Amino acid sequence: MSITGSVPGTDKRGLRELGAEEKVGWDEVTQGVTLNSFVGDAADIVHKKAEERNYNDFNSYTATVASWRIIKPVYNRDICIDCQNCWVWCPDTSIISRDKQMLGIDYDHCKGCGVCVEVCPTNPKSLLMFGEAEENDKALSAWPEKKKKEK
Amino acid sequence: MAKEFELNEVEVWDGNYAASQALRQAQIDVVAAYPITPSTPIVEGYGSYVANGYVDGEFVMVESEHGAMSGCVGASAAGGRVATATSSQGFALMTEVLYQASGMRLPIVLTVVNRALASPLNVRGDHSDMYLGRDSGWIQIDAFDAQEAYDLALCAFRIGEHLDVRLPVMMHQDGFTTSHKAQNVYPLKDSVAYKFVGEYVPVDDMLDFSRPVTHGAQTEEDWHFEHKAKQHKALMDSRTVIDEVFADFKKLTGREYKRVESYMMEDAEVALVLLGSSVETAVLAAKQLREEEGIKVGIVAPRCFRPFPYDLVREALDVPSLKAVCCMDKSAPGGAMGALFNEVSAAAYSTEARPMMTNYVYGLGGRDFAVDEAKRIMKEQKAHADAGHITTDIQQFSGLRGPKLGFFQTRRD
Amino acid sequence: MAITSIKNLKEFSTNNDRFEGAHLLCPGCAHSMIVRELMNCTDDNLVIASNTGCLEVSTAVYPYTSWDTSWIHIGFENAATAASCAESMYKARKNKGTLKDPDAPVKFVAFGGDGSTYDIGFQWLSGAMERGHDFTYICLDNENYANTGGQRSSATPVGANTSTAQAGSHSYGKKQKKKDMVAIMAAHGAPYVAQLAPNKWKSMAKGFQKALETEGPCFINTVSACTTEWKFDPKDTINVTDLATDTLMFPIYEIIDGHELNILYRPKNILKVEDYLGAQGRYRHLFKPENKHVIERIQKDIDEKWEFLQRREEARI
Repeated sequence: MSITGSVPGTDKRGLRELGAEEKVGWDEVTQGVTLNSFVGDAADIVHKKAEERNYNDFNSYTATVASWRIIKPVYNRDICIDCQNCWVWCPDTSIISRDKQMLGIDYDHCKGCGVCVEVCPTNPKSLLMFGEAEENDKALSAWPEKKKKEK
Repeated sequence: MAKEFELNEVEVWDGNYAASQALRQAQIDVVAAYPITPSTPIVEGYGSYVANGYVDGEFVMVESEHGAMSGCVGASAAGGRVATATSSQGFALMTEVLYQASGMRLPIVLTVVNRALASPLNVRGDHSDMYLGRDSGWIQIDAFDAQEAYDLALCAFRIGEHLDVRLPVMMHQDGFTTSHKAQNVYPLKDSVAYKFVGEYVPVDDMLDFSRPVTHGAQTEEDWHFEHKAKQHKALMDSRTVIDEVFADFKKLTGREYKRVESYMMEDAEVALVLLGSSVETAVLAAKQLREEEGIKVGIVAPRCFRPFPYDLVREALDVPSLKAVCCMDKSAPGGAMGALFNEVSAAAYSTEARPMMTNYVYGLGGRDFAVDEAKRIMKEQKAHADAGHITTDIQQFSGLRGPKLGFFQTRRD
Repeated sequence: MAITSIKNLKEFSTNNDRFEGAHLLCPGCAHSMIVRELMNCTDDNLVIASNTGCLEVSTAVYPYTSWDTSWIHIGFENAATAASCAESMYKARKNKGTLKDPDAPVKFVAFGGDGSTYDIGFQWLSGAMERGHDFTYICLDNENYANTGGQRSSATPVGANTSTAQAGSHSYGKKQKKKDMVAIMAAHGAPYVAQLAPNKWKSMAKGFQKALETEGPCFINTVSACTTEWKFDPKDTINVTDLATDTLMFPIYEIIDGHELNILYRPKNILKVEDYLGAQGRYRHLFKPENKHVIERIQKDIDEKWEFLQRREEARI
């Protein structure tokens, strides 16, 4: 469900584990500890989707925190109503929405907090937490039925 | 457009006014400042230029000196020329941000009017604040009189903003003895001064939205050391740029500045090393003593306190005839030898003559340092030279009331 | 163009994020929900300053930045000064014609946690507000020094257990009331001051847009539920925030020009404060019989504050 590499050559999502970057010497670190977020002209970045942007290696977009996760959200497109609750409350910019549609989860940046599942209003939920090792297809095949309202 | 300020060929200015005129002529974009004695007139002078249309930039009167330097950092990262002024307690309050400014490689100019640090509270001039800044990663240049306060403030922008340097610069002058003493000053015309300082060239400009930049990132044990080493190298290497700027300034004005000023050292048998407005006193005393008693005294004055000019101090002291050197520190050393003593001794250690080194602490809290006292200290150095060993304590106090105070002796038995 | 559509979440979600993932904030941290919403509610250029704190230490650790806009951190206390003097530089350069793109719209924003806003950076913030710069200061109020492991701040509420105001056999936790920062900022005469919460995303986005569009210094206190130090499951960040707003522990309101108060959210069913306290580990000790009086005091404070806010709103003065 991750859209890593959906636009080849431009989407640098989750290239490296944090800390796995090359440790360069004093002569190669940036002057004044500055970090540039993009390569080239980025004046109109706000109007570009992530996969259209030319991210610099300094941008945390190019890193992954997937290893933080012990449980993961799995997304069920069949039930989703594209309300975008999960998008607005995701603390890790990991709900991928395009053109008002929820596309999936960015597993390189998702830390598995589970907020998206909590705020999902469908019945049954369109997002559920599973163990990190669980295969998504298997999770989807065992999706729960609609729950009756608890009194 | 700011109005041109009509200046005479010779003006009678004190050090504060001279510095404030230099700031005006540099066409600073943002001055963020907070007043404190004895540097207040710099800020007030600038305020009057703002009020009367001589300045195009913004003048932000903040709520503290910490705020002043914080504002300078924020403004400087936003890609323009920035300066402020302070003294003493204000300088101490700024200290946290001084380190941040240099680590972030922002070429802010800070005109410091040197003053003692409390406690006890004291508004007079000594070098405690200047010494407090010596590990902060700033270039520190010392003006000995009002003309120099003007000249070197203009140079400070050129040096700090040079793309090979990109470091903040402190331009020091002594509280009251320089800041409030009026003298003849030869200013440059506004246009000439600005042409010398030059247009500001932004680097990692927060207002260049085509290139979003993060300033002030955190570094831990895997990156911090490399960044500090890179910063240190830039500071050490700034020596070349300082020399270049001084050379250009001489071409423009005929006034010559060196990272280390030395006087009558060619044949000196004894020497005093000191900073600031006392240099003039010491030079006068040395001249008199040469005439009156034939004692060959020389004076060495590091104009550039940081980066410390080990090379040029060593060169100045590498005189075969030199036997005794006294380093004069105008700051309470707090359980050590004075900083000047330590650093000059380190430079002198590799000279051929390897002179005897002693230390005087003097002038604290604005205590006067007069020609007679300078001569007494010079004669004492001559006594060391004649005896072939240091005849007093290594560290002594000049102009102090009460029983004689001194520390450490060289044993010769 | 400056303001993006917040008519509904679907519209809102068409914005391209400028706050990137793989930052180091805790799973479920509300800080990033708030920051994302601020950055998504405008497409103007942003110059953002952050005080030292959770947000800063998690989003700009060399060699990574999570910020797609200009961003600066200096120290613990001075983001308001950094943002406000960057704004002065903008004015100076615009006047002199040295900006690369002088017509590009730009907004200046400072973020601070409650420690840096209510305590150590109080003076810097007050100075910047008084000077009247055109900028917005947003406090991410998680009611403690979370970045250093949960010490009390002057934003910590009565009865909370923190590492420096501990609950124990002789103590029920923090004894002092939370500082009323919103009132203090309103007293500066700021044109727009508000208290907002991320669970009420629309009022928060509206408030952010209002602050960004209002000329002059604006202040917003946002409740930022802290899974680590409030001690609740990371998934419950929004649930706990719902309880904060529905018990009126965190009333949502704005104050315009220092006096005109508008309540922005009125819970249909006002819940008892026990519901909020019981959802968090930091208040667990309050449910011991000997601490019943503390819960009563908290409820009384809430009721009085709500009464005050309603009367202020009605008074229209």
